[in-house]
Amino acid sequence: MIGKAKKAGWVNRTLMVALMFYLLLPLLATLIYAFAKEWQATILPERWTLEWFSEMFGDARFMDALWTSLYLCAISVALSLAIMLPAVFIITVYLPKWETFMKGVVVLPYAVPGVVAAVGLIRTYSTGPVPIAGTAYILIGAYFIVILPYMYQGIRNSLLTVSAVELLNSAELLGASRMRAFANVVLPNIWPGVIISTLLSFSVLFGEFVLTNMLVGGHIHTIQIYLYQRLGESGHLASAIVISYFVFILALSLILMKLTQKMNRGIQG
Amino acid sequence: MSAYLELQAIRKQFGHTNVLNQINLQIREGELVTLLGPSGCGKSTLLRCIAGLADIDDGKIILDNKDIVNVPPRSREIGMVFQSYGLFPNMTVSENIQYGMKMRGASKEERRKRSEELLAMIDMEEKRGAYPQQLSGGQQQRVALARSLAVQPKVLLLDEPLSALDAKIRKSLRTEIREIQKRFQMTTIFVTHDQEEAFILSDRVCLMNKGSIVQEGSPEELYTRPKTEFVARFMGSYNVLTKPEALRLFGQVDSQAERFAVRPESVALLGGDDRQTALNEGKQIIDGSIESVSILGSIIRYAVNAADVKLTIDTLNDGRPLRQAGGGGISLALDRSQLLPLEKEGA
Repeated sequence: MIGKAKKAGWVNRTLMVALMFYLLLPLLATLIYAFAKEWQATILPERWTLEWFSEMFGDARFMDALWTSLYLCAISVALSLAIMLPAVFIITVYLPKWETFMKGVVVLPYAVPGVVAAVGLIRTYSTGPVPIAGTAYILIGAYFIVILPYMYQGIRNSLLTVSAVELLNSAELLGASRMRAFANVVLPNIWPGVIISTLLSFSVLFGEFVLTNMLVGGHIHTIQIYLYQRLGESGHLASAIVISYFVFILALSLILMKLTQKMNRGIQG
Repeated sequence: MSAYLELQAIRKQFGHTNVLNQINLQIREGELVTLLGPSGCGKSTLLRCIAGLADIDDGKIILDNKDIVNVPPRSREIGMVFQSYGLFPNMTVSENIQYGMKMRGASKEERRKRSEELLAMIDMEEKRGAYPQQLSGGQQQRVALARSLAVQPKVLLLDEPLSALDAKIRKSLRTEIREIQKRFQMTTIFVTHDQEEAFILSDRVCLMNKGSIVQEGSPEELYTRPKTEFVARFMGSYNVLTKPEALRLFGQVDSQAERFAVRPESVALLGGDDRQTALNEGKQIIDGSIESVSILGSIIRYAVNAADVKLTIDTLNDGRPLRQAGGGGISLALDRSQLLPLEKEGA
C-alpha cells in the first residue's frame, strides 16, 4: 500500500512539474527575451540589457495607455459596485423570488461570445438615439456587462455566507432602522467579499482584449491595444510590455489570494 | 386571566396554503409558553409574525393593551433569539450586548454598566472582548440571550434556541434560560419541536399542527389528557387503539369515541403474585407475549402483543428481573380508567 502511494505521488509530481514547465516555458522565454540584447545562436542570450524596459517606460504612449486602462477599468468597476451592491442586497434580502431570474441574467455574458456582443453593440449604438459607438461610454457599458457575473455572485455569496437576513432581523429587533442595520451590521461583514469581487472584476477587465479592440480599438489606446500595436515593431519591446503587464496582474492576483485567505480564516474563526 | 400578550384570530397564507389558521392565544405577564409541534406546523412563522418579521393577513396582536400589527419590528419592544444565534461577527461580545441600547440612545456609562451585569449573569465576564467566532455554540447563544435582554423587551421570543447545540449543553442551557426567565419575570414564548424540552421549561404548552393550536394546557394536562390522536402520538409512546382493539383488550368500553389512547406506563406486566392484587383492584387481565425489549436507562420498554394488538409498555428499571422476548406467555393488567377516548382530528 505504502509503496503504491509513494509511486502515485512520484507520478503525480512528475506530471505536475511537466505541466508547470509546459505552461511557464513561453513566459520564461518572454522574460528572457525582454532582458536580451543579442540572442541568436545560443541557448541563453549573449548579452543582457534593460534597454527595452527603459524604452517602454520612456514611451509616453505606454504610460498613457496604462493610465487609460486603469481609469476605464476603475470607472467601470466603481459603477458596477455602486449599482450592484444595493441591487443584489435588495434582491437577496427582500425579493428572493427574483433570484432565479437574476441567476439567468448573470450567465448571459458567458453565453454571448465577445465578438458577437461587440458587433451587436456597434450596430446598435453607431446610429439611433444614443450614438456612442467608438467612445469610452460604450466600453464602460460593455465592461459593466462583462463583470456582471463576478459582481453578482461575489456579493450574493458574501451576503449568504454572513446570513445577512438574520443579522438584519436581529439588528432591527434591537431597534436599528434598516439603513442603520445595513451600515452597522451587514456592510462591515460583507466588505472583504465585496473587495475580492471588485479586484477580480478589475483584473478580468484589465486582461480583456476582444471587446476592447473591436469596440474602441481605433480610438482609445488602452494597454491591451498598445501592446497589440507594438507587437509587430519589436519583439523585445513587446516582451517587456507583456512581462510588466503580467507582473501587474500577478500582483493583483496575489492580493486577491491573501484577502480570500484572510476572509476564510475570519469566517472559520 | 388578564392577558399581557394576546393573539386574536391570526391568519396567514403563503399562496393558497394556510400557514396560520385562526390562532388565538393569551399569555400572562411573566409566563413562559411553549409552541410545540412538528416542523412545518407554523410555530416559527407565528413567532416571526409576533416579532414583526413576517406580516399577517388577518387578526390582531395586542401587547400591553396596544395593537402592534402595524408597528415596525424595531418599535415593538420584542426581543428574539434565533436558532443560529444571529450575533454580529464584526462586534465583540460586549459590543453585541450593547448594540440595542446604543440604538435606543443609552449613555456610554449606562451601556457599560448594564452589559457588565448581563455578562455576570451569563457568567462570561472573561469573554467580553472576544468575537463571536471565538466562542462555542452554547456561549454564543448565551450572548444572544443577554443581547436580547439588554434592551428590556416586553416579550422575549426564543426560536428553537437550543436545537443547534449538543445534548449536554442543551440540558444545562435550558435550565439556565428558565432561571433567567423567572428572575426577570420575562414574558416568554419558546418554540421547539422537542416534547421533553417543552415540558421541562414551560408554564403552558401549546401543541400546534398544520397552522392551528390543537391543544394547550399545562405540561401535565397535555400529557395525561391528550384530546386527539395527533396529540397522543406527539406526546411520545402513547398506544393509540381503534375501537375494536380497545374492545378486545378491555372487554367493554363506555364511550362513543372511535380512537382511544393508553399510556405505556399504565399497563402493568404481572408477576406470579400480582395477579390476585390486580383482580382485587378491578383491573382487566389479559394474556400476551413479549416481542422485543429495549432499555432506555431508567425505563424498560416492552413491545407486547396481546389479543392481536401491539402495545408499548414502559416499566421502571427497578432491578426486577428483565422479561425476555419470546420467553413464553405473560399477563398484563389493564386499568379501564386509563383508557382515554380521543376526539376526531379537527373536530
